[in-house]
Amino acid sequence: MTALAHSTQTGIDNRKFGMWVLIASECFLFGTLITNFLIHKASILPGTPGGQQVFDIEITTWSTFDLLMSSVAMVLALDACRRRDLFQFRLWTAVVVLGGLVFLGFQYYEFSHFLHNDFGFTTSLFASSFYLLTGCHGLHVLVGTLWLGTIFVTSLVRGDRWFNADVVETAGLYWHFVDVVWIVIFTVVYLYIYL
Amino acid sequence: MVFASYFDDAPLKFSPGMEQSPMYTLVGITDWGRDIMHVYGLTTLIVTFVFFAVLIPTVYVLFKFRARGEDQPLPEQVKGNHVLEIVWTVIPVILLIMIAVPTWQSIFKQDRAVKAIERGGQALKIEVIGYQWWWEFKYVDYDVVTANELVLPENTPIAFSITSYDVIHSFYIPRFGGKIDAIPGKINKLVYYSPPLSDNASAMGDYYQGQCMELCGLSHALMRFEAVVKSKEAFQKFIASHNTPPQVKTEKEKRGEVVFNQCMSCHTIAGTPSADLEIVKIGPDLSNFGNRRTLGAGTRKNTMENLRNWIRNPLAFKPGSLMPKFDLTDEQIEDVSAYIQYSTAKDL
Amino acid sequence: MATYLPKTGVISWLTTVDHKRIGILYAASAFFFLAFGGIEALLMRTQLLLPNMTFLSAEVYNGLVTMHGTTMIFLFLMPLIAAFFNFLIPLMIGAADVAYPRMNALSFWVFLFGGLLLNYSFIAGQVPQVGWFAYANLTSKVFTPDHSVDFWILGIQVVGLASLISSINFFVTIVNMRCKGMSLLKMPIFIWASLVTQILLFLSLPVITVALIMIATDRTFGTGFFDPGVGGSVVMWQHLFWIFGHPEVYILILPAMGMVSEIIPVFSRKPLFGYPVMVYSVSAIGFLGFAVWAHHMFTTGLGAWATAFFSFATMLIAVPTGVKIFNWIGTMWGGQIRFTTANLFAISFVCMFTIGGLSGIMHASPPIDYHQHDTYFVVAHFHYVLYGGAVMGIFGGVYYWFPKFFGRMLSECLGKWQFWLYMIGFNMTFFPMHFLGLQGMPRRNFTYAPDQGWELWNVVSSLGAYITAMGGLVFLVNVIYAFWKGKRAPADPWDGRTLEWSLTSPPPEYNFAVAPEVSQVDDWWYKKYKPVSSSGSGQLEKVEDPPYQPDVEDPSSIHLPNQSFWPIVLAMGITVIASAFFFPVSGLYVAGTGILITLIASYGWSYETP
Repeated sequence: MTALAHSTQTGIDNRKFGMWVLIASECFLFGTLITNFLIHKASILPGTPGGQQVFDIEITTWSTFDLLMSSVAMVLALDACRRRDLFQFRLWTAVVVLGGLVFLGFQYYEFSHFLHNDFGFTTSLFASSFYLLTGCHGLHVLVGTLWLGTIFVTSLVRGDRWFNADVVETAGLYWHFVDVVWIVIFTVVYLYIYL
Repeated sequence: MVFASYFDDAPLKFSPGMEQSPMYTLVGITDWGRDIMHVYGLTTLIVTFVFFAVLIPTVYVLFKFRARGEDQPLPEQVKGNHVLEIVWTVIPVILLIMIAVPTWQSIFKQDRAVKAIERGGQALKIEVIGYQWWWEFKYVDYDVVTANELVLPENTPIAFSITSYDVIHSFYIPRFGGKIDAIPGKINKLVYYSPPLSDNASAMGDYYQGQCMELCGLSHALMRFEAVVKSKEAFQKFIASHNTPPQVKTEKEKRGEVVFNQCMSCHTIAGTPSADLEIVKIGPDLSNFGNRRTLGAGTRKNTMENLRNWIRNPLAFKPGSLMPKFDLTDEQIEDVSAYIQYSTAKDL
Repeated sequence: MATYLPKTGVISWLTTVDHKRIGILYAASAFFFLAFGGIEALLMRTQLLLPNMTFLSAEVYNGLVTMHGTTMIFLFLMPLIAAFFNFLIPLMIGAADVAYPRMNALSFWVFLFGGLLLNYSFIAGQVPQVGWFAYANLTSKVFTPDHSVDFWILGIQVVGLASLISSINFFVTIVNMRCKGMSLLKMPIFIWASLVTQILLFLSLPVITVALIMIATDRTFGTGFFDPGVGGSVVMWQHLFWIFGHPEVYILILPAMGMVSEIIPVFSRKPLFGYPVMVYSVSAIGFLGFAVWAHHMFTTGLGAWATAFFSFATMLIAVPTGVKIFNWIGTMWGGQIRFTTANLFAISFVCMFTIGGLSGIMHASPPIDYHQHDTYFVVAHFHYVLYGGAVMGIFGGVYYWFPKFFGRMLSECLGKWQFWLYMIGFNMTFFPMHFLGLQGMPRRNFTYAPDQGWELWNVVSSLGAYITAMGGLVFLVNVIYAFWKGKRAPADPWDGRTLEWSLTSPPPEYNFAVAPEVSQVDDWWYKKYKPVSSSGSGQLEKVEDPPYQPDVEDPSSIHLPNQSFWPIVLAMGITVIASAFFFPVSGLYVAGTGILITLIASYGWSYETP
């Protein structure tokens, strides 16, 4: 970019560093949402379903597994990018995107299943906080999928004009963060009610 | 008609020492109020000391070290002084502890008082409920409900449970102590001894002003109330007479009683059919309206003229008021005002 | 395409990614919104001039209360501070630009559109009337059925997004792009204050974001987060708001403290007294700022232990703050104080902020707060902190750095007129509010009764407000005069201490022709003042020819980030999405359009050569 921007004081690329800062900020965002959920965990109006009635732990476990595996693929994609292995890079990026899409599919299925069981956005505060938290996370997955999908398509178009590994790593950081947050959400929202 | 103003121009009479400034905050006459004033006084003293500790060196520096002419040689380049910096770290800490300790004592003293009542201590229990934009007071042990005029016996422990019907309000009688919010869905507790009757109390007792302190909508500024401290006998009389039916004496009042049927869905007068409706009333209880000094939640003197004007167009009195403008003839307004004003006046 | 965009004219401003130009845009918008906030204040003071006034209706007054607070904080102080961040951070740390120049442009346009969206409520005739902290459940659909609260929610949401983007940008800029030799403890103190401010911003903004989403879903979709009827809690809003709102207060005051800490040493000709301690105290204030939010809520009945904790944490903040005040006095002690306008404002900051801080200590004690809360005493307190403090400090910054911004000097004579009008007007307006508060006058009342004894101080206060307004006009005249006929500013008019004074005024587009290198705090100053060689007594003397930055013969040889249209387009997309809330029927289509614009802009942005 500019004459002075070649080296940074910390030695970390600006984009990567900015992503870390964004992640710090996002921690507070999800922290607030999770706290809100915990506060309203028991706010289930009489006659409306609670988590135990509607959640299907098996399906959610599979979608969690899917997201975890996409994170592994992300690691492999970044590694391939660093090794300048175009084929592997495309392959693993595609897997990550696929993983994101599958997760979103699970979430779509889950939400429509819930709505079918009279568990809507305004059913109870428990439901509202649930949808707010998981919906916000789903939105993050969507953004990540779009982003990595764009990287994938661009790599197809560009051919051997390469990505800077820092760009891929920035997207990867974001993807891992979204994944980690999901593990927290999975524990707090889904597993917790079975304890 | 539209009012030129929202408050009466002539002042209400408050108890001695309050004529000029009925909301003056620096006097506490209950036990709680006095505790607060103790912390307040000490803190003011410390803060004033610090103020001068900053002011004097600042003024000195600004006079002593102002630049004299251009091209002076550089002053000594002092970069700091650890001893000084430690001094002006430690001294504030000591001063703050001096404030913190009585602060905590006061907080926990009030907390203990509340807990003592919860464990079954004796007190006059009053539920305070804020509405847009008036106050309801329920004497739970006596099944008495009144509005905008809080009647208290002197020298008695009072246990307030404060909440709100709609939005957040804040319950504040400056002479009695601090404010506490009236929050929908939450009950705040407050316990203190009511003050003794003052030497030159009026026949009705000592009047103190209160006001809502939290922005609660359009007419937040018009949400005052009064606290009246009476002798214990007078208070018993107030309780005993409160739920007796109104004394309808004249023809006018009788006609007014009929007109009042239109008011029943929101207002209650004890001992009339209006008290039998099993619905939530969103207007103030009017059982002892004739005895109150003010109307419109402490905003105006309780006179026939003000009452007529209020009924004629409540929205001009209080913007946003839930009470609509009724389609009444002047005569009907005159009648119902007489009924509300005269029939409900109890013989105290 | 971007390479061919013109370097001058309107298009160049719409597409600029130069941090200095963006800084100027921020400053211009901030003063534009100040006019709104100021007129709102004057109207309110006129209504309160006498008891029983009917100059304004309750509806208008409550609207002005809300918009005055919201405007002054989100649309005046924050962008004005952002203007200084933009202009000064790269110059002070010796960088060519901020870390993400286009993001920087984006955050400005998002801010501007958010501010306009909020103020569109005046045109729509639905002005929010819930106060700047918009306590639930007055904001619910039941108690505010019209769109007024939606304007507030979405305006703040969009403006908040702008602040989030810029805070990440500045944080990365400061940490990553310092010039050679500038380790953390060699940064100018203003940069330290900025750094802590950015941390506060990007950690506290997400909390208000969530709170705003919750209230938006309450209003739009009928959830009940703040509806006690279905188990929601109205106090929860207060917690969420103040977890953001209290750090926000430090976001406003820390940069002003930083500016004052730059100005006072320059005009005392001495280094800042106790630089390391100042750094620690800035950090301590920032850290403690997250642990005191509930002191705004003492009267909500938090319970004895929580009340005691938050009261103690609040008092603790007085310690680092006090250290700073004494260190400023220590800086002036033994110096040669020049009473330029900039320094007058800086010194008045120290004095006014002390008064505001001391009244703050009073209501840090809950029993006292039970009296002072929501009375004019609190109004006096936070105006002493945010106006006498932040605004006066920043005006010091305006007078100090204006020559660097524009290459013109502001008139000292007019400046002193403004200062004294402000000083007298400000103290006349707000000191009497202490008395009004002690007399129990509640804040946010659109009128008051004549039997309360509040007449005298209200008259004084309103007259003070008019005097302040005249000071504001003098400032306007001063700025116009400076552009018209103002003296040309030399590179270093004040004998400054930090790197920006080694550049011409205004600085060239590329900032530094030669990458600077520093070896100590106030390095530029020590390049101007060297020890007298013969004696060895440590006495410093000004060198004949200070090493100003040289000019580049062929500026086009320096590669600068390209101008871009995408930031403003993206900002438009975001604003369109936000405004979808105002279209109950066609909202989805509007939101869809907004998302489409946002996506197109994002892709255009990504594939453009920066």
